[in-house]
Amino acid sequence: MNRELQAAKQALEHLLVDGVHDASVSASTSRKSEFTVDSGKFNLLRTTLDHSLGLMAIKGHCRGTVSGNSFEEEAIKAAARDCIASAEAGQPDEAWEIAREGEGSFVSGAPEPDMDKLFTRTKELLDSVKAEYPKVMLEQVVTAHTTHKSVYLNNHGVQYESTSGSYSVSLMFSGQEGEKSSSFNGAYLITDNLDTPFLELSNIRQNLADAENQIHTKPAEGKFEGTVIFTPDCLGSMLYSLIGNYVTDGVLLDGTSLWKDALDTKVVDERITLSMNPSDSRVVNGEKYTGEGFISQDFDLIKNGVLKQFMLSSYGANKVGKTRAPNFSYAMIMQPGDTPLEELIKNTKKGLLVSRYSGGAPGTGGEFSGVAKNSFLIEDGKVTTAVSETMISGNLAGMLKDIVGISKETVEDGTGSLPWLAVDGITISGK
Amino acid sequence: MIPDIVSSLQGSFAKGAHSELRAQRSLARRVVLLGGNLVGNTRSDSQGVCARVYKNGVYGFASAADLSQDAARRALETASKNAVFLDERVKPGKGALPDIKSGSLPPQPDFLDLEQKRYLDFVNPIDEYIKSKYEHLTSRTIVATADSMEKQIVTSDGYAAHILAPRAYVYVILNSQTKDGMPVEVFKAFGGPGSFDVALGNPEDIHEEIDALYDHLMKKREGVFASAGLKTVILSGEMSGILAHEAVGHTVEADLVLGGSVAGPMLGKMVASPLVSMTDFAHTAFGEKVPLPVYVDDEGVLADDAELIKDGKLVGFMVNRETGRHFGMEPKGNARAFAFNDEPLIRMRNTVVHPGESKLEDMIKATEDGYYLMYTNNGQADTTGEFMFGVTVGYEIKEGKLGKAIFDTTISGVAFDMLKTVDMVSDTLTWSSSGFCGKKQPMPVSMGGPELRCQVMIGGK
Repeated sequence: MNRELQAAKQALEHLLVDGVHDASVSASTSRKSEFTVDSGKFNLLRTTLDHSLGLMAIKGHCRGTVSGNSFEEEAIKAAARDCIASAEAGQPDEAWEIAREGEGSFVSGAPEPDMDKLFTRTKELLDSVKAEYPKVMLEQVVTAHTTHKSVYLNNHGVQYESTSGSYSVSLMFSGQEGEKSSSFNGAYLITDNLDTPFLELSNIRQNLADAENQIHTKPAEGKFEGTVIFTPDCLGSMLYSLIGNYVTDGVLLDGTSLWKDALDTKVVDERITLSMNPSDSRVVNGEKYTGEGFISQDFDLIKNGVLKQFMLSSYGANKVGKTRAPNFSYAMIMQPGDTPLEELIKNTKKGLLVSRYSGGAPGTGGEFSGVAKNSFLIEDGKVTTAVSETMISGNLAGMLKDIVGISKETVEDGTGSLPWLAVDGITISGK
Repeated sequence: MIPDIVSSLQGSFAKGAHSELRAQRSLARRVVLLGGNLVGNTRSDSQGVCARVYKNGVYGFASAADLSQDAARRALETASKNAVFLDERVKPGKGALPDIKSGSLPPQPDFLDLEQKRYLDFVNPIDEYIKSKYEHLTSRTIVATADSMEKQIVTSDGYAAHILAPRAYVYVILNSQTKDGMPVEVFKAFGGPGSFDVALGNPEDIHEEIDALYDHLMKKREGVFASAGLKTVILSGEMSGILAHEAVGHTVEADLVLGGSVAGPMLGKMVASPLVSMTDFAHTAFGEKVPLPVYVDDEGVLADDAELIKDGKLVGFMVNRETGRHFGMEPKGNARAFAFNDEPLIRMRNTVVHPGESKLEDMIKATEDGYYLMYTNNGQADTTGEFMFGVTVGYEIKEGKLGKAIFDTTISGVAFDMLKTVDMVSDTLTWSSSGFCGKKQPMPVSMGGPELRCQVMIGGK
């Protein structure tokens, strides 16, 4: 029996005392080996060995949770006592629920690291950027391999074991020329192999080229309503906000979601289909089971513009009388369109190509306003100058009703697949 | 308190390398009451040991989730091997780090780790108070949190210390809607350093401030959109604190300066109005203990204040030992790690704009057309100094008087341009310490400042 399973079994046994009618335990071990490169120079090799133990107990319909990182028996006993005491201090709520069935054993990705090859690929990235993008300053590069072994058990016999491994690449960079620099930009990807140079993965080449062209900027002139083309990187962050504002537990439980009564109705343009597909082949080590012990299944959040599912936990689902989300992977797959990106740009009279949005958390109604970072002005169908001190504002749901087009090109970073999206009706204000 | 497992291993540090050994335990407690439902009730406890070894210009680091001397020894061995792995391949050929003061500090006093029931006993009456008193709410959320870091630090040539840093907060989030059905929200954090019972006292102690928060919400229900464009604004102390941290502080962190931050070529130059001074305080500011004091950092450096801007001139960066050598600056204790498995990074501590001499009421009276911006929900900036902050509570200023509340908006600007527009600085200092700064790792930080009158871009219609 591996250490994770042994720790999980011990913890479950300690949780199942008088009155506890539901209990679950997740135990995992992760080993990470990571290179850090600062200002273009290797600085650190870091290896970490971590454990994680998550306990949940429901007693008299009161729920408590505890997390720790020790697999020692005394620590497990103490965590179980703490968990039960937390549940006893809580208030009864019959909406709490855990899975009643499920089992599986999963292996995915690259469980063992090849550190020499990871070093070589990292060095190759640094050398290639220096040679091909001389104006790019790599502020920080972090490359890592992580192996993750995890176990989930509950008192209804549900049991999962999973082993996965992946490589990750994270970059922070800016364009530099003398004392002038672009805004910093970042890129992150995960992969299960080292077959391809990192520079050729995801949208890294384009982001680096853009950084070189964003050193000299000017603010957009005045205030106008225009078209914004969001890059896949930026679209991802806008979609996270959209999901948080309209379809998650918090906003449905407190009733502030504007989509709370919109299930099976058209909420956005019919060209939009957004799915959460952890089993998609473009997703590296996608979620196999949820934290509540249910097998993860792909689902459409929005299909042809119609809201098909809320991102509800089983607790949230029971509270509002809807179904729970079939997974919590956030492995976002948006259906691409049939228009080339070049065409989307050509069709834009006046607007922005936005690679990064730096803004306040949108209000509960979805109103957002923030700075368009790493962005370019589009005038008469052409990308012209990079902009600074230019703000965009609009409404998350509103802008998805007012779309101009979706690119046929997509970007895959190992966590999902997203296209470029052009939307109208965004207020753009410069100086 | 965690047992001392690191002091006796100082003798086993490798010769010819600089070594750090740290044992750490981090606690976090949290309860969340949403509309009266207990939707979060969690406790977490994370502990382990780590070692970092510097050799010829590169570092090796290793950690294990185990608080034992054996684990500490293994971490030291692995960290040394990692340093050798990199040194052999990179061959940076840099020498030893400059010397720092050595010594040891006495352990800080322990604190009370409360049982979960105590947090619930605090939030339940708050929830009941809000529910029974306020008519026009669509929802309410009360969150109680407490976190702490306990660290034992031993280094080959610096200070040894046993540090405890607890803090605790209650967040109150109130929602309503305008007559057109648009949701509006306000929130505020209460609390500060110390364990939950020390930081918060009794639930009724914050009733008056919750009443004031509800009053803001009611005004926001009747609010208007800010008019987008370049405007004169008065930033509250909370807002000027986030400006100090996000828009200036990050640009003068030495690792970001090396990465090309706008502040690099500005050292010694005027970057702000002469009314503006800014310091990253270690443990004492203006004669009083700061919210999140740092006495020794994770490189064993005895902490001192880092002066950043003096009378408008950029006078210093925040450095660690390695970048201090590069810039010829003395390290002041800014190298901090979040969890036991994290390496120290250059981090801010208690970063403030110094108070001035104006009175807030005079600043408002002197403003013909502008905004008073009070509360923020987040902020971001980049190495160009271009920043943005969310604004959740703010008011119009018309002809020297406060006017209507404004809906959520965002302000932006370029720090070293915007700071030159500061023409009035109030004589008060407001701290906020509930947040985490994100920079590879999270980190508790505190920030603060006086009210500042300046010009910024504001989003809106």
